Amino acid sequence: MDFFIQQLTNGLTVGGIYALIALGYTMVYGVMKLINFAHGELFTLGAYIGFTLLVTFNFTGLFGTVIGLGFSVILVSCLVAVAGHLLERVAYRPLRHSDRLAAVVSALGASIFLQNAIMLKWGAQRLAYKPNILPNVSVNIFGQPMPFIRILVFLVAVFVMFGLYIFINRTRTGMAIRAAAIDQGAAKLMGIDVSRVIALVFIIGPALGGLAGLMAGLLYGPINFNMGQIYGLKAFTAAIIGGIGNIQGAMVGGLLLGLLESMGAAYISVAWKDGITFMVLIVILVFRPTGLLPERVAEKL
Amino acid sequence: MRFTLFLAFTLALVGSITFFCTGAEAQDNPIKIGVMGPNTGSWASEGQDMLNVVVILADEINSAGGINGRKVEIVSADDGGDPKTAVLAAQQLYAEGVVAVVGTYGSNVTEATQDIYDEAGIVQVATGSTAIRLTEKGLTLFFRTCPRDDEQGRVLARYVKELGFKKVAVVHDNTSYSKGLADETRQLFADIGVTEVFYDAIIPGDRDFTATLTKIKAAEPDVIIFTGYYPEAALLLRQKKDMNWDVPMIGGDATNNLTLVQNAGEEAAAGYYFVSPPGPGDIKGEAAAKLLATYQQKHEVYPTSVWAILAGDAFGVIAEAIKNVGDNPEAIAQYLHNDLKDYNGLTGPISFNEKGDRIGEVYRLYQVDPTGAFVLK
Repeated sequence: MDFFIQQLTNGLTVGGIYALIALGYTMVYGVMKLINFAHGELFTLGAYIGFTLLVTFNFTGLFGTVIGLGFSVILVSCLVAVAGHLLERVAYRPLRHSDRLAAVVSALGASIFLQNAIMLKWGAQRLAYKPNILPNVSVNIFGQPMPFIRILVFLVAVFVMFGLYIFINRTRTGMAIRAAAIDQGAAKLMGIDVSRVIALVFIIGPALGGLAGLMAGLLYGPINFNMGQIYGLKAFTAAIIGGIGNIQGAMVGGLLLGLLESMGAAYISVAWKDGITFMVLIVILVFRPTGLLPERVAEKL
Repeated sequence: MRFTLFLAFTLALVGSITFFCTGAEAQDNPIKIGVMGPNTGSWASEGQDMLNVVVILADEINSAGGINGRKVEIVSADDGGDPKTAVLAAQQLYAEGVVAVVGTYGSNVTEATQDIYDEAGIVQVATGSTAIRLTEKGLTLFFRTCPRDDEQGRVLARYVKELGFKKVAVVHDNTSYSKGLADETRQLFADIGVTEVFYDAIIPGDRDFTATLTKIKAAEPDVIIFTGYYPEAALLLRQKKDMNWDVPMIGGDATNNLTLVQNAGEEAAAGYYFVSPPGPGDIKGEAAAKLLATYQQKHEVYPTSVWAILAGDAFGVIAEAIKNVGDNPEAIAQYLHNDLKDYNGLTGPISFNEKGDRIGEVYRLYQVDPTGAFVLK
């Protein structure tokens, strides 16, 4: 039982990070029907900006742990949001009325560009967050010691996802996003500035992705310029399991993927972990081709 | 095709002429020894270090009057770290009339030239080629001063025993090097009285190994043997530390990289063991110290790895054989196989077995100290 609870918490932490990244994929897809392949690189960018703030500039040393970390979270989210916005302006907006394949190719190009830019800026060698940025304390959960950072990552992920859910479903801007997701033409006729909605989606998604990057850095330490590839792929998978275009789906998909990985490693085989995970993905898609929580035409987001 | 044939023929002709010449006027001519190394290409620094070391040693011999009164002449050929270039380099050395060749670094590069030297009747002493199959072909003129890949597994198993571990967890990453080393090590567990409580592979490039570590922890091993590379080793150490689990970990030479400490943090890396050939600065003994001092005086830096020092050893055994039995390649090989016992080499005593592999261990045990330095145990 102890073993099970530990693996459960392991899976939920990993799943929380997947879910945060998956939100970016699913929001962009919901509004634009575009897979933003550069999203994984925005995650990497978040990890590297966080490294610069927390290790190079030593924010937690300058301002104390709580304020320094809060500052870093806000700055990383904002800077990656700016990068996401620029990405939309440069790589996607000019292609909005052209073929959808053109936008996909542009997304792949942006991904390669960002990955190389990060490599040239910060170098090809692995960098690492210092282990003592956060106090290394453990909290007992069901009698199991859990490192504080893991709980923090999971809580932040849940909190952000919940906030996003409220934002989309309870605010006027959220309603505009939903309207644009259902029918861009009709939304325009209703006086919604669809360009602004898309720009907003490209600010929220990257901000969450960047935050996930910062948390991955804090949680694991080492970062490298192509870390976004694997995370991007996993999060994209999570978005599809959940039903791409559906926000709750991305959360469910991310957590489920994390749990599948840790349980697969725990009870079957570590080496087969990814094999098992993608096997389950295929089974889910065979029986529910649109994912667990498919986007409903009435309210896609 | 025609041209290649013509070239090969010409080279062969020139080679045989040179060969006869050396036979005829033996006493006055210098003894030619080839150094085939990657002087250009990806491994250029290794190749240049190799050549520098051998040249220093040859100069020493020459200034002391040479081998039995004859000077040594070093002929350098660049293999570019590439099998195709290496074939040309081998033909060039043959044409120059060398009796023996030091080199080379990469196993696949060495393999491309083995048959050429064997047919030409030239002794070859490889320096960094650790692939097992090189000495399993029955070539009588081939030797190497570096260890074989399976040697590392033996040494790893021996240290696991010496450090007193009884229950071990084995983790590899499914690359051929890592899985090979893991399998090589675990087949010796029965002999050294060790029980394997966990065996599995992680996925290289993954970042979260807590599920794996939790599973290993449930098996309650005394030590984790990880045979993969340093990025994953660093993550394992760091996440192990985060779990407050202080089980020791031991690894292979692919973790001999200071990035390991930087990635894991000093605290998590402290106490980590790995086996590896000694770094140039860790080689004990007067001969090595003298060589390194001369090297530094001449080139202002140390050689970067142990492989260049092993090139010095390759040259050393060849010179020793020529001193005792003359410069006939067959006689040199005979001597190296049978009569060379515990020759006092730079990296320790050197003898060869009937396959041409070095007898005796080159691998050493290292441990990371609390400041993050690699300390020879």
